[in-house]
Amino acid sequence: MTLRLLRNFVYSFTVLLLMELPSLAHHSFAAEYDASKPVTLKGVIARVEWTNPHIRFYMDVKSPDGKTARWEISGPSVNALTRNGAKKDSLKIGEAITVEGFLARDVKNLANMKIVKSADGRILLDRIGDQQ
Amino acid sequence: MTARLRTSIRSFKFAVILMLLPLLQACSTKSPAAATNVGAGVSRTAEGKPDFSGIWEMKKDRPCPQGGCTDNQVVNQFFDIGAGLSGGLPYQPWAKELVKQRMEQNGKDDPSSRCIPGGLVKLHTNPFRRKIIQNSGLLVILFERDATYRQIYTDGRLLPSEVDLPSFNGVSVGAWDGDTLVVQSIGFKQGDTEKDGAWLDRNGSPLTGAAKITERFRRVDHGNLEVMLTVNDPKAYTAPWTIKLNQVLATDGQDLLDYNCTENERDAVHLVGK
Repeated sequence: MTLRLLRNFVYSFTVLLLMELPSLAHHSFAAEYDASKPVTLKGVIARVEWTNPHIRFYMDVKSPDGKTARWEISGPSVNALTRNGAKKDSLKIGEAITVEGFLARDVKNLANMKIVKSADGRILLDRIGDQQ
Repeated sequence: MTARLRTSIRSFKFAVILMLLPLLQACSTKSPAAATNVGAGVSRTAEGKPDFSGIWEMKKDRPCPQGGCTDNQVVNQFFDIGAGLSGGLPYQPWAKELVKQRMEQNGKDDPSSRCIPGGLVKLHTNPFRRKIIQNSGLLVILFERDATYRQIYTDGRLLPSEVDLPSFNGVSVGAWDGDTLVVQSIGFKQGDTEKDGAWLDRNGSPLTGAAKITERFRRVDHGNLEVMLTVNDPKAYTAPWTIKLNQVLATDGQDLLDYNCTENERDAVHLVGK
């Protein structure tokens, strides 16, 4: 009985872990990003690479001291985004955006996006819902 | 009762049995659908075999985290190819230790991180689409992932005893077992050691060059394709093991899209272990 309870607990815990882990088909999420370090960035889109294995875009983020830093943001694959209704021009150079995501583990100014919103709050890209 | 009457009754009984025979036969024989276990709506080829043609993807049976999926929705078998197997995969001791090390290192050394093709098993579990094209002697599967392909010969040829030039997807031949296509594959690429073969999952379950893989493709109904996949790799596993992979027909009308991993791969340099 105790063994069965223990086994069920271990199984449930494992399932819970699997449910909570973000996933990237190309590489391990945990090897590049830290799910315990969420970040919100406000800035202006400087460049967009609508490419596989991940789309990437670059944004200029102004810090409180007035300096501007360029951030690199990685997103889902073109395939996943396309099937979720996104298009290359979903992101426009010069547009002010807010990005919510997770920080990279080994370098600064690199993050993995969870959601991208326009200045007026419209969702431009997101990973919510069915994205293959 | 006279002898003549008894003879007439016997003749009548015999006649009734003769009349009922076709009905009895029909009752004792399974209908074609039941015998082949193929559901409604499965079209057939000119040869009468189930037609697997179509665009397929893995059935999304992995729950999303609270707040939605954070990336490609993959199946549990993408992480652990033995997910759901009682007791897990029967690793050889060296393979068990290897998987432990790979998991401790966050899976950073997964060859797919460097855009190296994942091989036959990962082609099943990845979240990208695949298209099956079938004719009488050949079944071709085109994959979005790495824009690659498999050729499964169903023209009666035998699996070679050995393969001169191993490859990521191996060499495959198929034969029909009723309405199930049984595909056998060998000749998988391996590096210098047994540890340098394909990763079957993100955990790093190994496949050696000695492996033989058997897949049983069955179109359960119009929208569902079941693949029972058996890995027989005695160098890495103490016993053969079999898993079920569920695929569904893509019905949104979207064709395959290119997915070339090398197009803009910039993550590999940032991957770190624990």
